[in-house]
Amino acid sequence: MAAVRAARRLFRSFSQVKNVQQNKRILLRCSVRTFCTEHEDNALSHNAKPQFTDPAVQDILSRITGLELEKVFRPIKQELKLPEYKLMTDEQLNQERFIVVREPSGTLRKASWEERDRLIQVYFPKEGRKLTPHPIFTEENMKMVFSQDRHEDVLDLCLVQFEPDSSDYIRVHAATYEDLEKHGKYDLLRSTRHFGGMAWYLLNARRVDGLIVDMLKRELLQDAVSLVSLFHMVHPHSESAQESALQQATGTDLLKIYAQKESQRSGYIELALQALEPAAAEESTAT
Amino acid sequence: MVHLSSFLQKQYHGGYVVIRLALAGHKQANRPFYRIVAAFNKRARDGKYIEQLGTYDPLPNIYNEKLVSFNYDRIKYWVGCGAHTTKPVAKLLGLAGFFPLHPMTVTEAERRRAQAAQTQASEAKDNTEEL
Repeated sequence: MAAVRAARRLFRSFSQVKNVQQNKRILLRCSVRTFCTEHEDNALSHNAKPQFTDPAVQDILSRITGLELEKVFRPIKQELKLPEYKLMTDEQLNQERFIVVREPSGTLRKASWEERDRLIQVYFPKEGRKLTPHPIFTEENMKMVFSQDRHEDVLDLCLVQFEPDSSDYIRVHAATYEDLEKHGKYDLLRSTRHFGGMAWYLLNARRVDGLIVDMLKRELLQDAVSLVSLFHMVHPHSESAQESALQQATGTDLLKIYAQKESQRSGYIELALQALEPAAAEESTAT
Repeated sequence: MVHLSSFLQKQYHGGYVVIRLALAGHKQANRPFYRIVAAFNKRARDGKYIEQLGTYDPLPNIYNEKLVSFNYDRIKYWVGCGAHTTKPVAKLLGLAGFFPLHPMTVTEAERRRAQAAQTQASEAKDNTEEL
């Protein structure tokens, strides 16, 4: 009898049953991470430094990354798993979490970044991330892995494990790019998603000579030209940028100006340009 | 009287909603884990609850932290509906900063400190006696 009554009540009120949000959890440890929207606003103004996320910058970087189909679609070892379907609410996708720490001394404080990342991983585990970072991220292990030419794997693991603005992420990426530049192994990253990042890092450090030499060796003239134009975009006050702006140079002339003004290996670049010039002349007559 | 939105629950005469700790029942001996839960007063501790509002792990982890989580939005709703909180939940919320600090937290801390000082003093006395 009571069951019938309850069922009738339920049917009548079906539309009124509110959606109980089972999934929303707010943690005890708090901090509010503000998103870096100020940087994007600054990048839009003409005189400010171009940022990594500018569409023009991204366009150039994606062009010089190249598309080697064989490398991109090479078979990767993967476990066979049935597809999982997860329903995520908007709150789960959101990163704002309130995390506080009560010390034994009694002070209530906001959690630090490391504590925040760790706890968000505990309560909302992201696929592929571990609670304690992979041992590959220590100095000796990284050196060993670099000697085995497995920079890509390190960078993939780092992408999954760390947040983009955490200190570990920056440290690992910096170490990887430094090692690549020291040994000149730029081709390892050529068709991967990490190439743009490496190019950007070298640009900001103003050490693009090795990369340009490598490109010319592999006869990627267009890529070298776009790289130099990107350099001028990022460092508009350098000598080569001002020269090229005066002369309105394009193509190989840009490279020549850059070689004369900025680079330390100008001789090599000029030689390579001379070698490639007949090829470039053929291209321009054909088009 | 508390007015509730769901009609699938039994109507209690003189019952009210509480926010309390319920043992999560992971079936491992000596490893408790509590859920912070809004339930009717008359229900069993681990029985059917209305809604889960958080978790509490009483054992400290490798970083010496005890982890607690709260769904502040829903806690506000239930407290606004007239739910009561039990003493341990009130203490936890006080430690979290959501409620003002519970007086018993302060008293217990003082007692523990006095106890530690006493044991230290007696140990020092024992050591000097041995020597």
